[in-house]
Amino acid sequence: MPDVAEIVIRSLIFIAVLIIMTKILGKKQISEISFFEYVSGITIGSIAAEVIMGLNRNVGHGVLAITLFAVITLLVDFISLKSKKFRDAVEGKGTIIIKDGKIMEDNLKKEMYSLDEIQSLLRKKDIFNVADVEFAMLEPSGDISALLKKESRPLTPKDLQLKTANEKVPQTIIMDGEIINDAMTASGKDRRWLSTELEKLGVTLENVFLGQVDSYGDLTVDIYDDQINIPSPQQRPLLKAMIKKCQADLEVFALSTESTSAKEMYKKNADKMKEVLKNLEPYLNG
Amino acid sequence: MTTFSNVKQCLSTIKGIEAQLSTLALQSQDHNAQNAFHESMLIMGEVKNDLQNRSREMKLEEPQYKNS
Repeated sequence: MPDVAEIVIRSLIFIAVLIIMTKILGKKQISEISFFEYVSGITIGSIAAEVIMGLNRNVGHGVLAITLFAVITLLVDFISLKSKKFRDAVEGKGTIIIKDGKIMEDNLKKEMYSLDEIQSLLRKKDIFNVADVEFAMLEPSGDISALLKKESRPLTPKDLQLKTANEKVPQTIIMDGEIINDAMTASGKDRRWLSTELEKLGVTLENVFLGQVDSYGDLTVDIYDDQINIPSPQQRPLLKAMIKKCQADLEVFALSTESTSAKEMYKKNADKMKEVLKNLEPYLNG
Repeated sequence: MTTFSNVKQCLSTIKGIEAQLSTLALQSQDHNAQNAFHESMLIMGEVKNDLQNRSREMKLEEPQYKNS
């Protein structure tokens, strides 16, 4: 029985130690960007396991070893930040696998990667044809990063020379029926605005599970009752339709009037509306 | 529908557009969007003025619309 008690106590101690250590070491350890970090992470875990189960071992020694590993990892991280040479030595450098569309056989050999492995890594990136790759690099973490040739890259609005609106991050202002004040201030809204918007949608605050404001100040909500359909914001598409209608109206007036000055005035304004529509197009879509 | 009432209708729609653009300009978070909405709102104001003048002219030309 004392054995069981001791294991419980040791486990609790090491869980606490490990939680503290992981908090200190931060996110970098999880991403395991370099082999050193990968190994030190495993070692810290192994030491803890060893000391928990090996009852003849001293708990203090275990804690000391874990602390040492954590401190050295931190130290290495810190020096890496300062010195590029040290960083290259400890964390390793990426190796160029494909350059100008040609596979670098020597580098492949140096990294001991076979063509099959490289192809499998590329396939994970949805690249099946090596001929599509302009440049590929084997990262220190063992992943491959590939730059496709321009014609095989996904189409972007920039390629089409489309003007797009820049959107800010939507702010989550309601969670579980409660207002998140920080997000509220970040989006520049107040409670009065929120209550009118909720009233417009016909829901009460308590029924809202999630509420987000986008960069145009539109509120979208998800409510607890999934049977009820909440209308999505229609203001901007509607506005676009209204501008289009007015523009068409003005053109009709220009055609139907007999006075030349009025004709010109209508035409000028119809052109203005067209200009407005063109300028607002990126902001009014959906 | 007479032309006059059509113009009137168009005028009120433009007023509505102007007001909506103004709220959008205030509510948008992105600076470029704010500018675009604001500029469009000003242009809408110009269009509105022209149409208002025209409707006044029409009223003078055709006295039967006086009361509308």
